[in-house]
Amino acid sequence: MRRTALVIAGALLLTACGGGGNSGADSGKVVFWDTSGPNEHPVFEKVAKDCASKGGYSVDVQQVSFDQALANYKTAAQGGQGPDVLRSDVGWVAQLAQNGLITDLSDTDAAKDTSDFLDGPLGSTRYNGKTYAVPQVTDTLALLYNKKMLADAGVQPPATWDELKADAPKLGGANAIFLNNDAYYALPFIYGAGGDLLDVQNKKIVVNSPQNVQALQTAKGLLDAKAATTALDQANSYNNMKAAFSAGQVAMEIDGPWTVVDLLKGDAFKDPANLGVAVLPGVTAGKGSGPIGGHDYVVRQGTKAKTSSVKFIQCMSSTESQVSISKQLGLMPTRKSAYDSSDVKSQPTVTAFEPAIKQAHARPWVPAGAQLFDQLKIDYAYVLSGQKDAKAALDEVAKTYKDQVVTDYSVG
Amino acid sequence: MRRTLERHWYAYAMVAPVVVVLAVLVLYPLVQGIWFTLTDINESTIANPVLDRPASYSFVGLRNYLNVLSGDPSFGSFWSTLLRTVIWTGSCVVLTYGVGLGLAMLLNRPMRLRALYRVLLILPWAVPVFISAFAWKFMFNSQFGVINQLLGALGLGQPVWLGQTDLALVAVVIVNVWVGVPFMMLALLGGLQSIPADLYEAAEVDGATPWQRFRDITLPGLRSVSSTVVLLGIIWTFNMFPVIYLVTGPAANPNTRILVTYAFERFFSGASRDYAVASTYGVLILSVLLVFAAFYRRALRRQEAFA
Repeated sequence: MRRTALVIAGALLLTACGGGGNSGADSGKVVFWDTSGPNEHPVFEKVAKDCASKGGYSVDVQQVSFDQALANYKTAAQGGQGPDVLRSDVGWVAQLAQNGLITDLSDTDAAKDTSDFLDGPLGSTRYNGKTYAVPQVTDTLALLYNKKMLADAGVQPPATWDELKADAPKLGGANAIFLNNDAYYALPFIYGAGGDLLDVQNKKIVVNSPQNVQALQTAKGLLDAKAATTALDQANSYNNMKAAFSAGQVAMEIDGPWTVVDLLKGDAFKDPANLGVAVLPGVTAGKGSGPIGGHDYVVRQGTKAKTSSVKFIQCMSSTESQVSISKQLGLMPTRKSAYDSSDVKSQPTVTAFEPAIKQAHARPWVPAGAQLFDQLKIDYAYVLSGQKDAKAALDEVAKTYKDQVVTDYSVG
Repeated sequence: MRRTLERHWYAYAMVAPVVVVLAVLVLYPLVQGIWFTLTDINESTIANPVLDRPASYSFVGLRNYLNVLSGDPSFGSFWSTLLRTVIWTGSCVVLTYGVGLGLAMLLNRPMRLRALYRVLLILPWAVPVFISAFAWKFMFNSQFGVINQLLGALGLGQPVWLGQTDLALVAVVIVNVWVGVPFMMLALLGGLQSIPADLYEAAEVDGATPWQRFRDITLPGLRSVSSTVVLLGIIWTFNMFPVIYLVTGPAANPNTRILVTYAFERFFSGASRDYAVASTYGVLILSVLLVFAAFYRRALRRQEAFA
């Protein structure tokens, strides 16, 4: 909290000087809000500093907490303040573009020559036919498992939820897998069952479809069959999951590549080779699928350092930078050419997550994309704690989407 | 008219700055806020000075009020949220006042290390609220928290404190009482010390029991302090945002949602930034508190007339 306040105060001070408007002059000072975790941040900071010294501008890297970044950025940018460059979640880009809070990069060098980027992450940078962002990193959820625990129990990573249920007794029952009761972590169940939240083409809300009801029942079924455990207090849930998995108390969890650096600090993964990564289980084998996530670089509307900012995000997303970040942190590059590098090819996390990325499900890149999780989060937790059945919970989510999120869609 | 001006110009000149400051800082935002409740303003229709984009929101009449007052869950289930707010405020104020009065009476007696006890009891107040809130959040963690470990060691159940059940409301009430007791205690201690000791001596000579002394000397003696701190406590607790937000997380647990946290959710964290509905909540909160304050004052005046 204090840190965020400092960052905001700093940002206000830094941007307070100078005249208004989008004058052509470039201040040569780039303020970059980095939303990565404490273990990732130093690496990004180093790459940013290198970019700045090569490019002839200065950069001020400020770490802001991921949870607070969107709200803080919007408040600042609405008043013409804030960082010059933000590391934005892929789901925020369309929303920021719609509200005029980020710069249209279509006519800059950053939007040229995008053929090297992977299609999934590239899709998130566009809104209404214009380019607003440059992909930084891509990711998806996969099944992370403790190799030793699975080997001791004599089981393979499960390919279906039923298989998981059958194997669970050998893995110590409920300690087989830890489910995070958060909306984003409900998506593997939903996508894996062939469901989705919105049908963007037909402007329909499909969150309460029979597949999705089935999907949430599957998740709840794992808990009921004592094949999974969860933390019912959502505020602590994600951290409890990581703590239990990295301490070796549970055998599996569903998480993304960003978490690997943290997990390797835990007792269970003193030997990094013990951390296994598998494609998500599905209803049928091979149909498991997680959401495409990741981050993009965006430039604030009204920045006084547009030229430098564009240079900065080009450098940050260059093949060279991506390889270096990938090598140190195991994050997934967004450039095809980066995957040709031997450093990336030999990065264990990247190679492990690659099959999961191939099966990942694209999210709708619409302004409402980021708002879809608020109500789902509450109702998914109700389902997992047994306070509501899946159908009633998802009907409520659909109603909230209709009333607040995508008012011009029909429920169906 | 001219004569009054001539005679009192000095007074008007002295008052003018205050009037201007109040108008700019209080009146203007208030009127603007009320105007917003009659529109469909949100983050994509508000004016954007950076882009030179003009505002594009429009007048929608009482639609926001109708939506909110219908109690629809998509608009925060107003009536059940109001009820929860009243329960939250009531239990917090009763508990902080009760515990604060008890501690104040203990500390009002001569004893050894009195200064030390006072410092220790004021400590929760000196710690910034967000630190207390995070500390309690860790303690309430159902799997790794110290509270459940203690309960487990005693062989008792280990409830999920911060889950989406009413237990979460109990948890935040506990945190708020912990944060709020020092202020009550200090204020009441000040009140206790202003009651003349000879009243108690005289009552003792007359054979009054401790309960009679408490009821007929202490409570009336504390009346003016009590009425102020209770009113303050109610208004503060009604609008107590940080404790709930920080303990149950920005995830917005519907079982600890009170009016002011929901207004915040609509304004900031629920990515839609619905300024219109948030302002509507703001106006409704203000109205509830105004009505309450009017009744409270009338009740106090009647009480004083009887006393």
